[in-house]
Amino acid sequence: MNSFLALSKKEIHQMVREFKLVWLPIVFILLGLTQPIMMYYLPVILQSMGGVEGIIIDPAMTKPEGREVLASTLNSQFDQLGIIILVVASMSIIQGEKANGMMAFILTRPVSIASYLNSKIMIHYLLAVICITLSYAVSYGYSAYLFTLVPFKEALWALAFYCVWLLFVITFVTMMSTFFKSPAFIALISVVVLLICRFIAGLHPFIDIMNPASNSLFATNILMTGNIDKWYSIHSVVTLLLVLLMIVMMQSYMAKKKC
Amino acid sequence: MSINVRLEINNITKKFKQKTVVNSFSMMIDTHECVGLIGPNGAGKSTLIQIIADILYADEGDILLDGQKISAMKNQIGYLPQYPNFFSWMTAFETLSFMGTLSGLAKHDLQKEIPVLLEKVGLANEAHFHVGTFSGGMKQRLGIAQALLHKPALMIMDEPVSALDPIGRREVLNLLKEIKKETTILLSTHILSDAEEICERFAVIKQGHKIEDATKLELLERYQESAIFVMIRQEDTKWLARIEHLPYVKKVESYGDGFKIHVHHMEADAQKLLQHGLDAQVLFLKFEVGIQESLEEIFLQLVV
Repeated sequence: MNSFLALSKKEIHQMVREFKLVWLPIVFILLGLTQPIMMYYLPVILQSMGGVEGIIIDPAMTKPEGREVLASTLNSQFDQLGIIILVVASMSIIQGEKANGMMAFILTRPVSIASYLNSKIMIHYLLAVICITLSYAVSYGYSAYLFTLVPFKEALWALAFYCVWLLFVITFVTMMSTFFKSPAFIALISVVVLLICRFIAGLHPFIDIMNPASNSLFATNILMTGNIDKWYSIHSVVTLLLVLLMIVMMQSYMAKKKC
Repeated sequence: MSINVRLEINNITKKFKQKTVVNSFSMMIDTHECVGLIGPNGAGKSTLIQIIADILYADEGDILLDGQKISAMKNQIGYLPQYPNFFSWMTAFETLSFMGTLSGLAKHDLQKEIPVLLEKVGLANEAHFHVGTFSGGMKQRLGIAQALLHKPALMIMDEPVSALDPIGRREVLNLLKEIKKETTILLSTHILSDAEEICERFAVIKQGHKIEDATKLELLERYQESAIFVMIRQEDTKWLARIEHLPYVKKVESYGDGFKIHVHHMEADAQKLLQHGLDAQVLFLKFEVGIQESLEEIFLQLVV
């Protein structure tokens, strides 16, 4: 437990020294701003870009509701650019220390592989949650200001489901970082797999149970419809089990290979 | 450290793919011994060291420290990798504090211990500099500091001085001489003169096999040549032609400033030879019984 805390502290320390704790939240805040502002100015943009003469833009059609704006922040900003940024920001969390020998060095101390891995996943997940929450809060504020207010409870539930998906994202990147040596390959395979997961979400109810990205889809649904279905949580439980399975796989891989 | 620990390396074998890197290597190291693991590049030194440090698994055999598996005794081991790599964003003080915490040392102990240790390795003035700005020698000394921090009973060092310049090497060797007084040391190197300075026992490894394990004195004795070295005046050289035909002289050869006379039984034949020379009125400028080779030469003989 002591070494787990020391390792976690070291991760935070590293994030501060490498300014990750500064730039990542800023990037995400900008990302959260984009959607409401872009949607607000869309009619103006369309008009000024020209080429729409003769077509009447119905103002009632172009002015969406706050809930739609917030939902599209989730599914078109976070789930695309957001995931890519997160993957790139955390692709070398294990691989980097493996390559420069720090991992082997740390493990010559009485430190368990579990506390080494879990401290990394936990801290990077926390950072991701902080970034997404900040960004989401900004997006929420702007949607309310420029469009209509989304009920706070629904917004919170949507965020909660989204964070389950986020846990899967971070654990998956960590797993790829444990298995592979090349950072470019880690980034590529993580982005491809995660985006495919997101695209096939909602295709078929059976696939959805296994698909961690369905949590993200639920978040969007909650925002769009305002319904919080109880059975959504089954999917979250399955996702958490998947995360657990990945952690076990990583640990046994590291225990077997050592480095 | 006062506890008696004994490192037992039992039949270690390690293969990478098809290549056997370490081949049933066994060795015992007693408390307060300083053992040099010598071998050419690629002999399996680093692999063996890493197995002892519990970074790699051995395919066969086990390593016991004080009768217990090494993985349960990590607190008793200080390990210095070949190229100690630290987080460049940490200062020397933070590095030691981090490594110490991982070893389970309490915070207030660390606050007390670290300055003392940094003083010892000569980094007291650089305590709050980032490790990224350190030279190779400084990093190596910091590496030694982190290996010493938890007061291990056994220090394992992988080529502690090979990558350093003469000044850095001097610093580290002097430091190791200090450490040696209180800790058991196992170090690997391919530079014999370094090992010679601090270790009294050598294990020579070649292609994964242990081919020699002896103290320095034993080695020197074992590889002593039964030859006599003489230096004589120019006008006496014709005497050499005469002794070449003596029954107990095997061979006479020119060696350095003088001559090497190979004989059968060194001490008895030396006596006879000296007498013979005196009778022939030869003036010996130098008469040396038994030519000692340097460790370097013995090492070359062993591994080539």
